[in-house]
Amino acid sequence: MSKNSNIQMAPSAITEEKGVWILHNPRFGPEGTHFHTYGQLTPYFKGLTEGRLLGTRCTNPQCPIDNGADNLWIPPRMDCPDCHMPMTWQEAPTLAGYVYAYTKVERGGTGLEIPCPYFQVDVKLDGVATIIKSWLSGGTDSPIKIGTKVHAAFQTGAQATHTNLDLYWVRA
Amino acid sequence: MIKFETGNLRVPKWTRPVYMVAAGTSDFRKRYPEKRLEELCMMAFRMLLEENGLKKSPQEVKGLINFCAYGEFADHFQDQLLCESKVHDYLGLQPLPNIGVKTGGATGGSTILAGAQSIASGYSDCTLVLGWERMDEVKTWTGNYYIASAACKDFETRLARNYASYYAPMARRFGEMYNVDERVRASIAVKNRGYATNSPYAQQSGHHTIDEVLAGDIVSDPLRFLECCAMSVGSAAVLLCSEEVAYSLTDHPVKLSIAGGTDSLRCGDRRHMRIPLLPNETEEQYAWLYKEMEKWDGRWPGFESFCAARFAAYMVYRMAGIHEPLEDLDLVETHDAFTISDLQTYGDVGLTPYGREQDYVTSGECYLVNPHTGKQGKCPANLSGGLLGTMHAVGATGIFQAMEILWQLQGKYDWFHGREELWQRYGKTKPADWQSLQVKNPRRGLAISHAGVGSHVTCAVLEKAW
Repeated sequence: MSKNSNIQMAPSAITEEKGVWILHNPRFGPEGTHFHTYGQLTPYFKGLTEGRLLGTRCTNPQCPIDNGADNLWIPPRMDCPDCHMPMTWQEAPTLAGYVYAYTKVERGGTGLEIPCPYFQVDVKLDGVATIIKSWLSGGTDSPIKIGTKVHAAFQTGAQATHTNLDLYWVRA
Repeated sequence: MIKFETGNLRVPKWTRPVYMVAAGTSDFRKRYPEKRLEELCMMAFRMLLEENGLKKSPQEVKGLINFCAYGEFADHFQDQLLCESKVHDYLGLQPLPNIGVKTGGATGGSTILAGAQSIASGYSDCTLVLGWERMDEVKTWTGNYYIASAACKDFETRLARNYASYYAPMARRFGEMYNVDERVRASIAVKNRGYATNSPYAQQSGHHTIDEVLAGDIVSDPLRFLECCAMSVGSAAVLLCSEEVAYSLTDHPVKLSIAGGTDSLRCGDRRHMRIPLLPNETEEQYAWLYKEMEKWDGRWPGFESFCAARFAAYMVYRMAGIHEPLEDLDLVETHDAFTISDLQTYGDVGLTPYGREQDYVTSGECYLVNPHTGKQGKCPANLSGGLLGTMHAVGATGIFQAMEILWQLQGKYDWFHGREELWQRYGKTKPADWQSLQVKNPRRGLAISHAGVGSHVTCAVLEKAW
């Protein structure tokens, strides 16, 4: 069980095969487990467990959108959707952003690992093309608004869940 | 894709016209233990064959069918792969060919699109389009998790396992950027659930007040329970035909144009792009909006709009010759899974310019009777009761919406909603205050089928062909 973010989740088992992480999602016991590969996005999920936020960017000068000077993609993609060339890994230029949109989740679907209520936040970081959907640690007693400054935090080491929940945000 | 080349904007063209002539449906319920799924599909099929006043007998109509397109949202819910085969067999249609279509909440619309293509191409002269969903085999919150599997499983699903929480941030952004009064959102729930009280098929009709909606429990703020649709069980069907077959079956066929659009599954991946303009819009018209977006670090479509809906409308209006949507359309069925999606969509399909959606709703033009003028609204919305009031048996929903437009254009609202026998069929009593919601002399209607947070949308224009 994670200690630093109150997630109700034991770490998901992973195996490594050919350099990529394969997440185990048990459905019907050990024989009924789904083995979901993170494929070439493994560095992203591995990075979270090490306290690093990684994205990818297109550096192709022939790319029809921004000629390879496009901003970072988080969640990352291995291939540029505009020119189809391989993207390059890069650390997020900043871990400080602001709340672009949010909601207070009062109740979630079966299996939700985050204790309700909590703020689900969409975070904008300078230099990142996308807006990152995530969650805010620290409860909901103190309200937030569009524009609230937040800072990335991570579940690392033994606390890591090996899922996207390893990235969360705290009020700056 | 955020920049179009000429080829991307080619307007779809049927090689021959497509007509819709008949429709059928089951009623919709939260739980429906009395009927197996196949039996619910038969209810829709039988109504389509028997109750639309077709010129041929049910067996003769069945004898015209060449092809079937079936819509089902999620194998998770049915807990059955190849459900299409079971339904097809139950309807006695083998060995005719069929296909299954899945595009999330837009499954119904996409199934109509696939069926229309079979007619337009000449593959078929008569195509059955039928959809279903059985969402009562699991408890509500497990159902919510299943639905949230239609968000990105690597980056989104675990963040709530509840789709309302993916719409709520859109409601937040839309509300703040356009200064939306939450009473306007609530009025949409009041209107649609109220219209549903006149429908024998409706699952969650009710005469509510705005205060009641706003006093309700929050699902994912700012969305309250009465602002969210429920899970349903049921089936709906329409019959598509070539021109020759259509007029052999009815003197009142409806011409169908339908087009689709898409966007990324993850809302946050939608980068800024220029708005594809509808026939009645100009680039200058949106200069203010682009400036306003700068203040909000905004982007189009961003969290406020649906590019998929705009793209589908862009195409279908050109297919169907719609120049001024508010003038040329007489009614619409929006995908009001949440009050916010109804509100957002009015701008996407050009019933009002972007940024004026709230004003459009308060203008009263989306009501059957405009509360300000006492006259018929210019484009009443969701007279069926919509998803909020009547149903969201996902694979059937887009088909159900088109069905309601068809019956309105054919002047059959009362026949399909007002008969005592219909209410009794579903174990209900026709309300003493039942009202006809028949639009006076409608010529064209729009049915919008919508998935995800706008990942797939189809827009169908139905037009009287007599």
